[in-house]
Amino acid sequence: MKRRMLLFGTLLVIAGLLLSSCAPAATPAPTAAPATEAAPTATPAPAQEEPTATPAQPAAQVTDEWGVAIIPAGKTIKIGLAGPLTGDYANFGIDISRGAELALEEHPEIKGFKVEFVTQDTQGSPEQGAAVANKFASDPQMVGIVGHIFSGETEASIPIYEKAGIVMVSPSATNPTLTELGSKVFNRVAFTDKMQGEFAAKYIYEKLGVRKVVTMHDGGAYGQGLANVMAEAFKALGGEVLGTQAITPGETDYSAPLAAVAALGPELIYFGGYDTDAAVLVSQMEPAGLKGVIFFGCDGTYGENYLKLAGKAAEGTYSTYVPIPESEAFEKFRARYKERYGDEQGKLSPFSPHGHDAMAIILAALEKVAVVQADGSLAIPRKALADAVRATKDFPGLTGTITCSEVGECAAASIQFMVVKDGKWVVAE
Amino acid sequence: MNVAAESSKWRTARVKERKVSLGLLLRLGIGLLVLAFFAYRFYGVLARQAYGAETWARLAISGLIIGSVYAVIALGYTLVYGILFMINFAHGEVMMIGAFAGYFVLEAFAASGFSARQPVLAILITFLAGMTVSMLVGISLERIAYRPLRGAPRLVPLISAIGASIFLQNAAQLMFGSMRRTYSNPPALERNVGWVLDVAGKPVSITYTGVLTFAFSVVLMIGLYLLVQRTRLGRAMRAVAENKEAAALMGVDVDRVIANTFAISGVLAGAAGVMWGLHNGIIYHYVGFIPGLKAFTAAVLGGIGNIPGAMLGGIVLGIAESLAPAVLDIPFQLKDVLAFAVLVLVLIFRPTGILGEVLAEEKV
Amino acid sequence: MGLRTGIRTGLIAAIVTIFLILIGVHMLMGRLLQSWFYVPAHWPGVWLMVVLLGLWAGSRAVSQMKARSWGNALLAGASAGFVQGALVGAALYLLASITQAGVDLRAWLTQMSKESIGALTLGFAPLPAAGFIGGVLLVSAMAGAAWREWRLRVHAARLARGERIVSLRERLLGIPAVAQVSSNPLSRRVLMGVFMVLLLIAPFFLSQYWNYNLGTVGIYVILGLGLNIVVGMAGLLDLGYVAFFAVGAYTMALLTAPQPHHIQMSFWLALPIGVLLAAIAGILLGIPVLRMRGDYLAIVTLGFGEIIRILSKSDVLTGFTGGPRGVRNVGHPVLFGKDVGNEFYFFYFILIGVILAIIITRRLEHSRVGRAWRAMREDEKVAQAMGIYTLKYKLMAFAMGAALAGFSGAIFASRNSFTGPEDFVLLVSINVLALVIVGGMGSIPGVILGAFVLKGLPEILRELEDYRVLVFGALLVVMMIVRPQGLWPASRPQLERPRPGEEALEEAPAELVEGEVGS
Repeated sequence: MKRRMLLFGTLLVIAGLLLSSCAPAATPAPTAAPATEAAPTATPAPAQEEPTATPAQPAAQVTDEWGVAIIPAGKTIKIGLAGPLTGDYANFGIDISRGAELALEEHPEIKGFKVEFVTQDTQGSPEQGAAVANKFASDPQMVGIVGHIFSGETEASIPIYEKAGIVMVSPSATNPTLTELGSKVFNRVAFTDKMQGEFAAKYIYEKLGVRKVVTMHDGGAYGQGLANVMAEAFKALGGEVLGTQAITPGETDYSAPLAAVAALGPELIYFGGYDTDAAVLVSQMEPAGLKGVIFFGCDGTYGENYLKLAGKAAEGTYSTYVPIPESEAFEKFRARYKERYGDEQGKLSPFSPHGHDAMAIILAALEKVAVVQADGSLAIPRKALADAVRATKDFPGLTGTITCSEVGECAAASIQFMVVKDGKWVVAE
Repeated sequence: MNVAAESSKWRTARVKERKVSLGLLLRLGIGLLVLAFFAYRFYGVLARQAYGAETWARLAISGLIIGSVYAVIALGYTLVYGILFMINFAHGEVMMIGAFAGYFVLEAFAASGFSARQPVLAILITFLAGMTVSMLVGISLERIAYRPLRGAPRLVPLISAIGASIFLQNAAQLMFGSMRRTYSNPPALERNVGWVLDVAGKPVSITYTGVLTFAFSVVLMIGLYLLVQRTRLGRAMRAVAENKEAAALMGVDVDRVIANTFAISGVLAGAAGVMWGLHNGIIYHYVGFIPGLKAFTAAVLGGIGNIPGAMLGGIVLGIAESLAPAVLDIPFQLKDVLAFAVLVLVLIFRPTGILGEVLAEEKV
Repeated sequence: MGLRTGIRTGLIAAIVTIFLILIGVHMLMGRLLQSWFYVPAHWPGVWLMVVLLGLWAGSRAVSQMKARSWGNALLAGASAGFVQGALVGAALYLLASITQAGVDLRAWLTQMSKESIGALTLGFAPLPAAGFIGGVLLVSAMAGAAWREWRLRVHAARLARGERIVSLRERLLGIPAVAQVSSNPLSRRVLMGVFMVLLLIAPFFLSQYWNYNLGTVGIYVILGLGLNIVVGMAGLLDLGYVAFFAVGAYTMALLTAPQPHHIQMSFWLALPIGVLLAAIAGILLGIPVLRMRGDYLAIVTLGFGEIIRILSKSDVLTGFTGGPRGVRNVGHPVLFGKDVGNEFYFFYFILIGVILAIIITRRLEHSRVGRAWRAMREDEKVAQAMGIYTLKYKLMAFAMGAALAGFSGAIFASRNSFTGPEDFVLLVSINVLALVIVGGMGSIPGVILGAFVLKGLPEILRELEDYRVLVFGALLVVMMIVRPQGLWPASRPQLERPRPGEEALEEAPAELVEGEVGS
């Protein structure tokens, strides 16, 4: 017994010594050495720390604060996508990855190097999102990320990419606070929930002439945030928010909470959440005593799936949608989408054009900063790449003309409100 | 052999002696705290006159309907527990599969126009399909996951049941995908359409599907009660519950009786699944899990092993679930918390449930 | 005789085959062979599965028979294969003809894409395709039956010659070197030391991603060891174990993050507080369930786990816990003025945690407390009669298990620098329970093995992602039936030498026993 304790003791001491000694002398940046699977790549030091000694990089004429990704001749540049590809919200991830894939087909090479598109499933959960981010971050050929798809997983993964110096362009993470974290790598082409909530409040107050609303949400980060923004903005305009009601997502009976909402006597229900729950809500509104009350959803409730699930009850309900301005490029995109995947564009989610633009922005920035070196390899300075993405200006994307703000808000489009007429989504006047 | 737990489920409760002890004081303390909180919140709601009579009526109706579905699922738990003393954790998934079976049948009928021509027959066949499929699942569940474990320590079959539950859920997800599906009811039995009552000058609607659900669950319960009390099979089941060895010696085929018990509980779960689909309209692979847990709570609340108790427990839990958030003035997202709190409180204060006897505690 | 057995087996095999096809396992096999063995197309994998299922049906039919004869065996194999082939063929005929008619089956059965069915029809029309798959199944079932009959005969002949049939384990121990190493404490210790040194230097050679994954496995090892105290040693089935994990994680997050509370305490202070609070939560949750019987306890604890999760994301507590958005920028540990919050350093923290957890578990196991737990697990009433104050020991078990969970939760939150309610779903509890059970209840190496198998393997086999949870469920059932003691069973201290004829009792699943009821 004693001897065993001694052994553990020594091991602990060894561990302690190892810990207290300074960082391992492994190279602190994705190395220039041809990367094999087991190459030692410790994480690069974040920019705000004192930069650790960068080792000499053979054959590198390019230097960069965050390190340089070197792609040996004959290897591919990798761009990743992480999001829900299976599970309840798989349609979002699949649709966006298709959009990104189509963008890559338009621009498959950077200076003679093929770009490889790697997708990983996170099921939309923060924990899986962090795991996938670590996987991407430890791949020395990975230079940019289209993603993540959901706000929660994006939030969990930003610190990881920040450390690795990998630029992100999210097509659909809409939580307002994401760009308030001071991240240098995070950008998005989706418009934020803050804008959406405020616009919706204005529209409801002015266009629909409604003065009394109840907000509902599904208890998720997206839904709750949206409902709160909308409530604040509506109060600021002078409207009355009679109350708020949270539901458990994924259930198929909301008659009780709806009855409680009906007792408050609203003219309109504003709902933050996703299509499946919204469909259950609208189909149970009438028996709960909410006949004639308007149901106003958000961009999470827009889509074909909602119409299918809610059936007749969907008539006259609203949602938000980011319209894609009609253009020749978009026309072509739709045709290619249909031909390639067999589905109508826009059926799975409204976000495939955003996926396309996120990918296109990264590719354009790569084209700007990548340098072919003397030994035939390609050098991609990471910080320069992130700065190039952040400096995107007047980029012709599918979603509009894209210009990024200094915090990384690149959304081009304005919002449009949609209403269901005769079983179809049409633009609400 | 645990004599206390061996006593029959269909006999009167055994009164336990209580000593004044720390445990009792603790119980009293918790009870008083809960009651005080309850009263305080409810007083606030009443004082504000937040809800009118029509709202309470609507909440009660919705609770009654959901409660009757819980009750039917709870009957299955109670039956199996009464005979095998095991919690069939996968029971909710059996219900989910029944709901899917009914969905496919109705899809076919709707596509062929049969459900418009013969609504009554279509609904009947749908129920039969859901019940049959669930029955088969129930039987195979017992055969594969529980029978080899007969006589093992109590937690072994429970773990196996948890495994079976996870397996069935994911098998359904892989087979049918994770998208939600909408029941295509016959036009005659449109969802969210029904009679309208007038309560305090406001309309309160009672849907056809809701009435069907409630009526059919009462029929099922009466049928089950008669089956257990009046038939040979029922007598055999009671004998097996009383004492397996003795029943076997008297010529009862214990294995067959247990298989039949699982078959009956499967039939009930299938019926509950189809009712769920017809009334709520949307089903997916996770639709059975939470109702299954709630139904177990209902069974405990009514007194596990007791058939009228399961029914009562289901209705009480359903109504409590839909009224309590309004009474306590908290968001409805917390109603699952309330259901679990009910379970814990019942087990602390009256482990026998409303109509049952002590099975949940070790007699010390 | 053979015929009846064959038909019954064929029916079961047909159901299994159709089920596997419907959930898309044949395509998975095809993809796996393609990516692992560089097979050019995916049809070999698909048909490998079909042939294997046929072989299984035939061999099972023979092993179920009572009367041994070649004729009987072939009859059983043929009938099993015929039934299986006919039913699977019929199912394929249906699927293929519906698909041919231009209906997209995926609207109802998501896995039934054109490619998926095409892999089984090989491009033939429905009827010949059905005939072909039926034929393949029939032939392979016959082959399986013949093989099984031959094996059984060989086996019987060896028994008749008086040879002992040795198990794999015995065979391994029969190799002198293995026997020496496993029996000699010094060499065991040396092996252990080598393993430890390997672990200590591993992070220098692994990528960030694998350090992260190893860390995750480590976190699950600690969780498993904690649950092992509660379930394996004290016999209390806790299904809401994730609640204590959440308490530790939230304590760490709320005390060190800038939002929502602005406390921003140091990691090193928050860690013990998290452990302490988790232990207190363990005692608090333990009190109401003290006298409940095992299965009730399981459901109630499951309820507690869900309550904690729902409350943490509810509107009522949003101001306190950060609500559904969770907590960002959780503090990192700082050592000697240096932020050591990356995967590399965390690997070592977690390793220290694992070693500590192992030491604690071992010391407890061989102490008075551990013996009391064991007695309680075997028979509570007898334990009480022997003067063990079971209530106290139950609470101790809950507190110890919860403390370990709190520790791993705190580390988890700091390492991800983000935590939220979605990190604490029921599946986490189920994962931990599954790894304890698969590894071996009450066994420390078992728990470590279980964590590697259930948490590490899926990261290596990301293709299997969709099927992971399904396999979990099946594993739990199969383990309970086949090996309730787990892959690496706990060696139970021998208080007396078993008399001859009692060895069988050693193998009996004696964990988790409480007052026997019924049976």
